[in-house]
Amino acid sequence: MTVVPPLELNHFQAFLLFAVVISVAFGFLGRRRPKDRVKYILWSLFLFLLVGIGVGWAMFPFSR
Amino acid sequence: MDEPSQNPANDGAQSAPSIKEARSSSDSRALAFGLAGWLLPGLGHALQWMWGRALVVFFAVGLLVFAGASMKGNVFTRQGGDAFDTLGFIADLGTGSFYLFARAIETSGADVSHADGDYGTRLLATAGVLNLLAALHAFEAARGHKA
Repeated sequence: MTVVPPLELNHFQAFLLFAVVISVAFGFLGRRRPKDRVKYILWSLFLFLLVGIGVGWAMFPFSR
Repeated sequence: MDEPSQNPANDGAQSAPSIKEARSSSDSRALAFGLAGWLLPGLGHALQWMWGRALVVFFAVGLLVFAGASMKGNVFTRQGGDAFDTLGFIADLGTGSFYLFARAIETSGADVSHADGDYGTRLLATAGVLNLLAALHAFEAARGHKA
Protein backbone atom coordinates (compact mmCIF):
# COMPACT_ATOMS: atom_id res chain seq x y z
CA MET A 1 0.00 0.00 0.00
CA THR A 2 1.40 3.38 -0.97
CA VAL A 3 1.01 6.40 1.27
CA VAL A 4 0.70 8.83 -1.66
CA PRO A 5 -0.92 8.21 -5.05
CA PRO A 6 1.60 7.39 -7.79
CA LEU A 7 2.73 10.34 -9.84
CA GLU A 8 2.45 9.84 -13.59
CA LEU A 9 4.45 12.23 -15.74
CA ASN A 10 5.32 11.96 -19.39
CA HIS A 11 8.90 12.29 -20.61
CA PHE A 12 8.75 16.02 -21.18
CA GLN A 13 7.07 16.77 -17.84
CA ALA A 14 9.68 14.77 -15.93
CA PHE A 15 12.45 16.48 -17.87
CA LEU A 16 10.90 19.90 -17.25
CA LEU A 17 10.56 19.20 -13.51
CA PHE A 18 14.22 18.24 -13.35
CA ALA A 19 15.35 21.28 -15.37
CA VAL A 20 13.30 23.82 -13.39
CA VAL A 21 14.26 22.50 -9.94
CA ILE A 22 17.95 22.20 -10.74
CA SER A 23 18.10 25.60 -12.46
CA VAL A 24 16.50 27.34 -9.47
CA ALA A 25 18.77 25.54 -6.99
CA PHE A 26 21.90 26.33 -9.02
CA GLY A 27 20.82 29.94 -9.42
CA PHE A 28 20.41 30.42 -5.67
CA LEU A 29 23.59 28.56 -4.76
CA GLY A 30 25.76 30.07 -7.47
CA ARG A 31 24.72 33.72 -7.41
CA ARG A 32 24.06 36.19 -4.63
CA ARG A 33 22.27 39.19 -6.16
CA PRO A 34 18.60 38.65 -7.16
CA LYS A 35 19.12 40.02 -10.67
CA ASP A 36 22.08 37.71 -11.25
CA ARG A 37 20.07 34.78 -9.91
CA VAL A 38 17.18 35.38 -12.29
CA LYS A 39 19.55 35.68 -15.24
CA TYR A 40 21.39 32.52 -14.23
CA ILE A 41 18.15 30.55 -13.69
CA LEU A 42 16.71 31.55 -17.07
CA TRP A 43 19.94 30.90 -18.93
CA SER A 44 20.47 27.55 -17.22
CA LEU A 45 16.86 26.50 -17.88
CA PHE A 46 17.17 27.50 -21.53
CA LEU A 47 20.36 25.45 -21.92
CA PHE A 48 18.82 22.43 -20.16
CA LEU A 49 15.85 22.53 -22.54
CA LEU A 50 18.00 23.16 -25.60
CA VAL A 51 20.42 20.31 -24.86
CA GLY A 52 17.67 17.90 -23.72
CA ILE A 53 15.48 18.46 -26.76
CA GLY A 54 18.55 18.55 -29.02
CA VAL A 55 19.78 15.18 -27.74
CA GLY A 56 16.22 13.83 -28.09
CA TRP A 57 16.14 14.86 -31.73
CA ALA A 58 19.65 13.50 -32.32
CA MET A 59 18.51 10.09 -31.02
CA PHE A 60 15.34 10.07 -33.11
CA PRO A 61 16.84 8.20 -36.12
CA PHE A 62 17.89 5.33 -33.82
CA SER A 63 14.50 4.95 -32.16
CA ARG A 64 13.09 2.62 -34.82
CA MET B 1 65.12 53.77 25.14
CA ASP B 2 63.28 52.02 27.97
CA GLU B 3 60.22 51.63 25.91
CA PRO B 4 59.57 48.07 24.71
CA SER B 5 60.64 47.63 21.16
CA GLN B 6 57.92 47.35 18.56
CA ASN B 7 59.02 44.08 17.06
CA PRO B 8 56.51 42.69 14.58
CA ALA B 9 58.13 39.27 14.78
CA ASN B 10 57.32 39.06 18.51
CA ASP B 11 53.73 40.10 17.93
CA GLY B 12 53.37 37.47 15.26
CA ALA B 13 54.80 34.76 17.52
CA GLN B 14 52.35 35.67 20.28
CA SER B 15 49.29 35.75 18.07
CA ALA B 16 50.08 32.69 15.96
CA PRO B 17 48.56 30.12 18.35
CA SER B 18 45.42 32.17 18.77
CA ILE B 19 45.05 32.46 14.99
CA LYS B 20 45.57 28.71 14.69
CA GLU B 21 42.96 28.04 17.38
CA ALA B 22 40.50 30.41 15.74
CA ARG B 23 41.02 28.73 12.37
CA SER B 24 40.59 25.27 13.89
CA SER B 25 37.41 26.39 15.62
CA SER B 26 36.16 27.92 12.38
CA ASP B 27 36.90 24.69 10.48
CA SER B 28 35.01 22.62 13.08
CA ARG B 29 32.09 25.00 12.84
CA ALA B 30 32.14 24.78 9.05
CA LEU B 31 32.22 20.99 9.22
CA ALA B 32 29.23 21.03 11.59
CA PHE B 33 27.31 23.26 9.17
CA GLY B 34 28.18 20.92 6.29
CA LEU B 35 27.00 17.88 8.23
CA ALA B 36 23.83 19.66 9.32
CA GLY B 37 23.15 20.56 5.69
CA TRP B 38 23.55 16.94 4.67
CA LEU B 39 21.33 15.59 7.46
CA LEU B 40 18.50 18.08 6.85
CA PRO B 41 18.63 19.76 3.43
CA GLY B 42 19.00 23.53 3.84
CA LEU B 43 19.93 23.45 7.52
CA GLY B 44 23.59 24.24 6.80
CA HIS B 45 22.55 27.49 5.15
CA ALA B 46 19.79 28.26 7.66
CA LEU B 47 22.34 28.14 10.50
CA GLN B 48 24.28 30.84 8.65
CA TRP B 49 21.14 32.97 8.18
CA MET B 50 21.08 32.33 4.44
CA TRP B 51 17.32 31.87 4.40
CA GLY B 52 16.75 32.06 0.65
CA ARG B 53 19.29 29.37 -0.09
CA ALA B 54 18.08 27.26 2.83
CA LEU B 55 14.47 27.31 1.63
CA VAL B 56 15.39 26.63 -1.98
CA VAL B 57 17.60 23.67 -1.07
CA PHE B 58 14.99 22.26 1.31
CA PHE B 59 12.16 22.46 -1.20
CA ALA B 60 14.25 21.46 -4.23
CA VAL B 61 15.56 18.30 -2.56
CA GLY B 62 12.16 17.61 -0.97
CA LEU B 63 10.33 17.99 -4.28
CA LEU B 64 12.78 15.76 -6.13
CA VAL B 65 12.58 13.07 -3.43
CA PHE B 66 8.79 13.26 -3.31
CA ALA B 67 8.46 13.12 -7.11
CA GLY B 68 11.05 10.35 -7.45
CA ALA B 69 9.45 8.14 -4.82
CA SER B 70 5.92 8.88 -6.07
CA MET B 71 6.98 7.84 -9.56
CA LYS B 72 8.06 4.50 -8.09
CA GLY B 73 11.74 5.14 -8.58
CA ASN B 74 14.26 2.77 -7.10
CA VAL B 75 15.26 3.78 -3.56
CA PHE B 76 18.48 1.79 -3.24
CA THR B 77 19.33 -0.04 -0.05
CA ARG B 78 22.58 -1.26 1.46
CA GLN B 79 22.00 -4.75 0.09
CA GLY B 80 23.00 -3.79 -3.44
CA GLY B 81 23.82 -6.54 -5.91
CA ASP B 82 26.46 -4.69 -7.91
CA ALA B 83 28.54 -1.53 -8.10
CA PHE B 84 25.70 0.45 -9.70
CA ASP B 85 23.39 -0.40 -6.80
CA THR B 86 26.08 0.74 -4.36
CA LEU B 87 26.56 3.99 -6.26
CA GLY B 88 22.80 4.47 -6.32
CA PHE B 89 22.66 3.90 -2.57
CA ILE B 90 25.41 6.48 -1.98
CA ALA B 91 23.58 8.99 -4.19
CA ASP B 92 20.25 8.33 -2.45
CA LEU B 93 21.91 8.60 0.94
CA GLY B 94 23.03 12.09 -0.07
CA THR B 95 19.50 13.30 0.71
CA GLY B 96 20.21 12.72 4.43
CA SER B 97 17.06 12.37 6.47
CA PHE B 98 14.95 12.62 3.32
CA TYR B 99 16.16 9.13 2.43
CA LEU B 100 13.90 7.85 5.22
CA PHE B 101 11.09 10.02 3.81
CA ALA B 102 11.54 8.35 0.40
CA ARG B 103 11.49 4.91 1.99
CA ALA B 104 8.33 5.84 3.91
CA ILE B 105 6.54 7.01 0.75
CA GLU B 106 7.54 4.06 -1.37
CA THR B 107 6.20 1.25 0.74
CA SER B 108 5.11 -0.87 -2.22
CA GLY B 109 8.54 -0.96 -3.82
CA ALA B 110 9.97 0.35 -7.04
CA ASP B 111 8.63 -0.26 -10.52
CA VAL B 112 11.31 0.53 -13.07
CA SER B 113 9.62 -1.48 -15.83
CA HIS B 114 8.01 1.80 -16.93
CA ALA B 115 9.64 5.09 -17.90
CA ASP B 116 8.11 6.77 -14.82
CA GLY B 117 10.00 4.50 -12.46
CA ASP B 118 13.22 5.01 -14.34
CA TYR B 119 12.80 8.79 -14.20
CA GLY B 120 11.97 8.48 -10.51
CA THR B 121 15.24 6.67 -9.89
CA ARG B 122 17.14 9.49 -11.61
CA LEU B 123 15.25 12.19 -9.69
CA LEU B 124 16.09 10.50 -6.37
CA ALA B 125 19.78 10.29 -7.28
CA THR B 126 19.70 13.91 -8.44
CA ALA B 127 18.19 14.97 -5.11
CA GLY B 128 21.03 13.25 -3.24
CA VAL B 129 23.79 14.75 -5.35
CA LEU B 130 22.18 18.19 -5.20
CA ASN B 131 22.01 18.01 -1.42
CA LEU B 132 25.65 16.96 -1.20
CA LEU B 133 26.55 19.94 -3.38
CA ALA B 134 24.49 22.26 -1.16
CA ALA B 135 26.12 20.84 1.99
CA LEU B 136 29.55 21.43 0.44
CA HIS B 137 28.49 24.98 -0.41
CA ALA B 138 27.39 25.57 3.20
CA PHE B 139 30.75 24.21 4.39
CA GLU B 140 32.69 26.49 2.05
CA ALA B 141 30.53 29.51 2.93
CA ALA B 142 31.19 28.90 6.63
CA ARG B 143 34.93 28.87 5.93
CA GLY B 144 34.54 32.19 4.17
CA HIS B 145 35.75 30.86 0.84
CA LYS B 146 32.56 31.27 -1.10
CA ALA B 147 29.15 32.73 -0.52
